[in-house]
Amino acid sequence: MSENNALLDIFHVIPWFQQLSEDHIGLLADFSHLVEIPQGKDLFKEGDKEDFLYVVVNGRIAIEIMFPGRGRVSIYTAEPMDVVGWSSVTPVVRQRTASARAVLDSRLIAMDAGALRRLCEGDCALGCVVMRRIANVVAQRLLVTRLQLLDLFANPGDVKVHA
Amino acid sequence: MTETMLATATRTDALIAPLWAEIVEIVPEAEGVSTYWLEFKDKALRKSYRFAPGQFNMVYLPGYGEAAISISSNPNKPERIGHTIRFVGNVTNAISRLSRGDVLGLRGPFGTSWPIEKFKGNDVVIAAGGIGLAPLRPAIYQILDHRADYGKVTIIYGARTPADLLYPREYDAWRNRDVEVLVTVDRGDASWTGQVGVVPILFYRLRLQPEKSVILTCGPEIMMRFVIFEGLARRLPEERIILSLERNMKCGQGFCGHCQIGPYFICKEGPVFHFGQLAPFINVENF
Amino acid sequence: MPEIKLNLGSQVAIRKPVFDQLLGNLAKAGYETIGPHIKDAALIYAPISGLADLPQGFTSEQDGGHYRLKASGNSRYFDLTPGAPSWKQFLFPPRTELFNLMKENGNWLEEALKKEPPRYAFIGVRPCELAAIAVQDKVFIRSDFTDPTYKSRRENIFILAVDCLHPGDTCFCASMGTGPAAEGGFDLKLIELDEVFLIEVGSQAGLDVLHDLSVETIGADWQQAAAERHKIAVRSMGRHLDDVASVPGVLINNLEHPRWKDVAARCLSCTSCTQVCPTCFCWDVEDTTSLDGKNTARIRVWDSCFNITHAAQAGGNIRPTTASRYRQWLTHKMSTWQQQFGVLGCVGCGRCITWCPAGIDITEEIKAIRGEAVK
Repeated sequence: MSENNALLDIFHVIPWFQQLSEDHIGLLADFSHLVEIPQGKDLFKEGDKEDFLYVVVNGRIAIEIMFPGRGRVSIYTAEPMDVVGWSSVTPVVRQRTASARAVLDSRLIAMDAGALRRLCEGDCALGCVVMRRIANVVAQRLLVTRLQLLDLFANPGDVKVHA
Repeated sequence: MTETMLATATRTDALIAPLWAEIVEIVPEAEGVSTYWLEFKDKALRKSYRFAPGQFNMVYLPGYGEAAISISSNPNKPERIGHTIRFVGNVTNAISRLSRGDVLGLRGPFGTSWPIEKFKGNDVVIAAGGIGLAPLRPAIYQILDHRADYGKVTIIYGARTPADLLYPREYDAWRNRDVEVLVTVDRGDASWTGQVGVVPILFYRLRLQPEKSVILTCGPEIMMRFVIFEGLARRLPEERIILSLERNMKCGQGFCGHCQIGPYFICKEGPVFHFGQLAPFINVENF
Repeated sequence: MPEIKLNLGSQVAIRKPVFDQLLGNLAKAGYETIGPHIKDAALIYAPISGLADLPQGFTSEQDGGHYRLKASGNSRYFDLTPGAPSWKQFLFPPRTELFNLMKENGNWLEEALKKEPPRYAFIGVRPCELAAIAVQDKVFIRSDFTDPTYKSRRENIFILAVDCLHPGDTCFCASMGTGPAAEGGFDLKLIELDEVFLIEVGSQAGLDVLHDLSVETIGADWQQAAAERHKIAVRSMGRHLDDVASVPGVLINNLEHPRWKDVAARCLSCTSCTQVCPTCFCWDVEDTTSLDGKNTARIRVWDSCFNITHAAQAGGNIRPTTASRYRQWLTHKMSTWQQQFGVLGCVGCGRCITWCPAGIDITEEIKAIRGEAVK
């Protein structure tokens, strides 16, 4: 049970879990475990079946997409307290759309996505908190993606400007 | 009379003809960006020239014209003036073909400066994007020269790719002076182990006390807009969010009318403004 | 006739032929006398030497995009209000060489451009034009930087002002508080009656010019005639703009008013208004090189915020649309100018209305934004 205690300690430190009751945290801890990923190793690959929702505790996870001819391009890095693999909680997409690789030695909480979905469906109060949290994550990622898309630092000469 | 942040240098007759300076060193910083280190040919001028962080010179290449370039070097070492130049137009592309020993004309320094003195005792967040780190570097040097006068100092810097980051060799030197340096890129490559994301998002890592913090920001206007948003969301008063703007400049001294935004001449009441001055205009399309 | 002692502020009368001697005195004092003169069916400012060069017997018919000279039916010289050109061209020339560099032994040397500034005597400056010169004084002569070309010319001019007794169809100086009578800033001021010119001395230079001229005291009937003419002039303005004090706030608080798009559909962005405006001061630089590369010069040329490149820079154009550029012009002229220079940029001369090919009327546009009914 010591691993469970270590897990619970970490849950209490992560900001968005602090909104949950002790009971709820206990329930989540039941289907979560800690994962250690050394630098350079993949957490998951594009196309993998989605099974876990992760929260970074230490380190840095790069979200990468394979670009034929260019190799893997990192489009986002998840820092401590960031969520990785949020789409596993939503019912739409059923496989990973990007790869996740540790660029520094990393430690994450891995939550069984199926168990989490079932728990949320059964307990609406918990479900609401979790979904709200996931919505915030998606909103932030969308903003980042949009600003990246605008290519703010592009050389003006490369950009066609409508005069 | 609007509140202005006054430049340190004053003179009465307009500066019309350039003063000549020799290129003593060219340092490539990133693709399409190099820092040109200049020394005035006139010895007396070399010794007397002073500038404040955030000010710019009009850099002149005979036959081609002038470009407004921020000074990116240490204000305490004004004998050698650094200009980090991005090669984007006629004049700057012509400058990119020059070598050590070639001569450029300078008019300046012009414009307002980062209010470093005013915000002593505060926590400082420097949020820069791309070439925007260049006009902020003199402010960083000035803060480091008086490190004990400031609280927590954080630099958030982003560029397009790792190769586009300016002055990477200095980040550790800054970290060693008790400055947190957070670096991010729009897209990483296989060897990059740093962050990938955008500058405004890095604010989520910070704890800002609204009455004790100041943000200095410079970069693409869209990036600055989101930095301002993050500052306001954290309840910073508008006067504590300081930015540097850029507009088409010809004279540098508030005569030719080109660089205006609303009532302000960016070469005179700017380029450094606090957000309160710009709030009514900055989101009006095409103003 | 008893000798009349002249002082600053003295008011006397001169018979019309004496005017030529007055110009002669100015020429003797080293001034080039420039005044209103008709050329190609329009009024310009050109060197004049006497009454014969003035537009005697002329007045004008003006409206948005419309200008015609007309016979006035009398023999007065100063009934005709200003045409397209303003005095701005003499103090802030359309083309000025800023510097000229010669290459010698690999070094660029600045050629001395120290020419003597011209000494102009401006003859027949209207009160709106006096106000315009005062506005440009604030632009070019400042405590932080001063433009040497403007300053050196400005210090050397002589101003003979003329009160407007017959305002034009597009004039609104009364609304802007700049006319139709001149209240200072002149060396001599003139009010034209049928028989005489009434002259007021505004400075020592003005006093000096009168020193050997035959002057008379102003009789009560001339006083009265002048006062009545002035009253009529105030009431005969072609255009009006009420509550000018509210205009800066209204404009700056309505940056997204639909009227901007409306006027942009009519505006050709042709820059005529800025060229004829006596206070507009935007300029651009041309850097030119000789073919052998041994000589390079920088020339200052008039520019306009209506030019599409005015706000263009690497990375894009801040004001790519006519609407945005028209808005820039009007909000600058009638709003932000006040914050910059302590006065509004508009003096109510009406030139921008007359010389706009699309007939856009600045007073109407402002009224529309204020929500008033317009034509």
